Amino acid sequence: MSRYYYYLILINMVANVIASVPAILLQFHKQGSVSSMILAAIIGTILITIYTRFFNAFPGMTLPDLLKKTTAKWFYNPFILLLALVWFIAGLITLVTFAFLLIRFVTPEMPIIQIGSTIILSVIFGCLMRSERVLYTIELVTLITFPLTIFIFYKAYTSDNLNWDFVKDAALYVNQMPNLNSFGACLFLFLGVVNLFIFNRFFTEKQSFKWKHAALIGVISTMTLFTTYFIPIGFHGFENIDELVYPWISTSDSIRMEFFIIERVLFVFILFYLGIAFLSILIHWHVSMEFLKFVFHLEKIKFRGLTVGTVIPLPFFIGISLYFLRELNEYQLFRISGLFYDSLIFFFSLITILLFFIKRRMKNARQAKEY
Amino acid sequence: MPDKQKNTKLFLLLLVPIITLLAGCEFKDIDKNVFVSIIGIDKSDDEDKPYKITLKLYVPTSSFKQSPEPEYAYLSQNGETLSEAIRMLESYSDKELEFGHSKLIVIGEELLKEQKVSEILDFLLRRPDIQMISWIAVGRPSAEEIVKMVSQGENAAYPALFNYFEDIGTESQYIVTTFLFDFRRRLTEDGIDPVLPIIEGKKKKKHFEINKAYVLVNKKEPYELSSLYTQTFNILSMNASVADLSTKREGQQFVARIDSINSKFKVIVKKNNKIELDMDTSLVGYISESKNQLKTEDLSYYSRLFEAEGEKFFTDFLTEMMNIGADPLGFGVDYNSRILHNKRMSAEEWNEAYKNAEIKLKVHADLKSTGIIQ
Repeated sequence: MSRYYYYLILINMVANVIASVPAILLQFHKQGSVSSMILAAIIGTILITIYTRFFNAFPGMTLPDLLKKTTAKWFYNPFILLLALVWFIAGLITLVTFAFLLIRFVTPEMPIIQIGSTIILSVIFGCLMRSERVLYTIELVTLITFPLTIFIFYKAYTSDNLNWDFVKDAALYVNQMPNLNSFGACLFLFLGVVNLFIFNRFFTEKQSFKWKHAALIGVISTMTLFTTYFIPIGFHGFENIDELVYPWISTSDSIRMEFFIIERVLFVFILFYLGIAFLSILIHWHVSMEFLKFVFHLEKIKFRGLTVGTVIPLPFFIGISLYFLRELNEYQLFRISGLFYDSLIFFFSLITILLFFIKRRMKNARQAKEY
Repeated sequence: MPDKQKNTKLFLLLLVPIITLLAGCEFKDIDKNVFVSIIGIDKSDDEDKPYKITLKLYVPTSSFKQSPEPEYAYLSQNGETLSEAIRMLESYSDKELEFGHSKLIVIGEELLKEQKVSEILDFLLRRPDIQMISWIAVGRPSAEEIVKMVSQGENAAYPALFNYFEDIGTESQYIVTTFLFDFRRRLTEDGIDPVLPIIEGKKKKKHFEINKAYVLVNKKEPYELSSLYTQTFNILSMNASVADLSTKREGQQFVARIDSINSKFKVIVKKNNKIELDMDTSLVGYISESKNQLKTEDLSYYSRLFEAEGEKFFTDFLTEMMNIGADPLGFGVDYNSRILHNKRMSAEEWNEAYKNAEIKLKVHADLKSTGIIQ
């Protein structure tokens, strides 16, 4: 597989360490988080395989392209609009979470609107770029941020203060029924692959996706899940871990690098996660914007020869995000993220069925052409 | 392509006026901040305002040559809550109080005995600017005295107290190092109890002494560990990396310097809720002082003597901890990490089992040398 494909998957996994995923998992630490994680790792890997195989069969085609060929118009337009909405919310949640983090830890004096606008400004122009340029941006930022993020994880694992007894204690809660909320949060880590709905247009050549690729992704995702859940427990104990609002921020604040440029890892961690969060929002909003183009044919709207259509959604994007930035509090954000992750379970189960349907129709269409 | 060039020029032209919008940082300038180095929290004499906060502030100087002596400013205030006290303190200072660089929190001994640690901890954890990697210690006689004391030989702009806890300074076997996050997890978890070092300020001698510690047992008076027990705790929890241990047995009396410590423990569960604490410690080092002349061929004999002495020390310590029901090493957590959650004994059963546990302790000593002379 192309390396860009892995970036798409990796960003979604790593970005969630900072979002509500660990908080949700740790909230249910005594109600089946561990078994949910195991279940999600299996189902997630299967899901990634199905989606990748599907899009490999149609190189260079986006999901809207395929839908146009196979479904009726009454279904096509509302459905793509719904997709655009889902991707917009995904980006919005990351944005609000990160703005809250910044105001809490880095710039407490700055108004939240200003923090939000700064992030939005840097993201919004990226959304208008062509898909391949977005992928190049992703590669660039990933290469800068990933090594240090991995180094911080390495420091966490090798720290003397990581008490493995707590980790084992938490792992022994494995014999419980999985619960929906934890499962939804875990599954979200695996959903980076669905960005192929749009980004598949970049992968014009036929790619091979064998079981070893799937195994690699499975191993990486299991490691990410393990780190996300167990490292905070190792640092902060098991019994009252759910009282931490930002488990990973507290964890990075508990790692000490006395011979590093900055002793307090927290700031380095937030800075580098800013890069990853930026990528995550960029991907989600880019996809959302592309969906909108398919629904409203924005590129055809012209004013005095200039294509102004593509900028029409921008005020809505900015306005809605700023509204939510002002209105939400941490608890509401946490609830909304949870509900969003839960609804995605059903949403993507339905889409998986839809994919099988498309595949059959395309096959029929091809056969019809041959006759 | 003239058209493209024109576009670029237009873009630059638009960019230039935007620069005027840059109004500088939203951050407060560094000279408008004053950095707190140590936070001290005490019990005050005032009934209505039970907390007393003392802050040690770095005094900004333009160069090292200007003030080679350590210089600090101090602020102190009583308050009903900690935040109220800090709010009042802010009105004493012309600059913004910046807590992000504070590395040590000292709690007064009296306050610790009042069982109010969890209230203090709440404040320290809730504030995002206080580091979770700051050290926490108990001040004797009071936190205020510790915070306001400058010991002899202290460097400018780096409080001597930090060196005690940091590994790059002294590596004494008597100093317990507890980070704030470690303190929190030990306090909130059932199977492990917090240990806090005691800083004693010797005013006349102008130096600190840190060689004792407090173990906080749930809802009981904190138990003071003597220097010997503090050292034993440090060795068993591998907090200390080097240690001197003396042996007096069978006519021999020598001190061994241990430079490699490795200690493991596990809980073995037996029938009828009985447990066995299994400890395995390996100590490697050399002999650094002796009353008698030593022979190198007898090194393994000295090691045996040393093992017997070590076993006695460690067993004494564990027995004492079991008697008072304290668990500074975390046997409870170790037990939790071995048994499925729905098959564990209840907290009361565990406390009972821990008090009556059997100790199985093994020390592997390996003295490699008698030093430079025999």
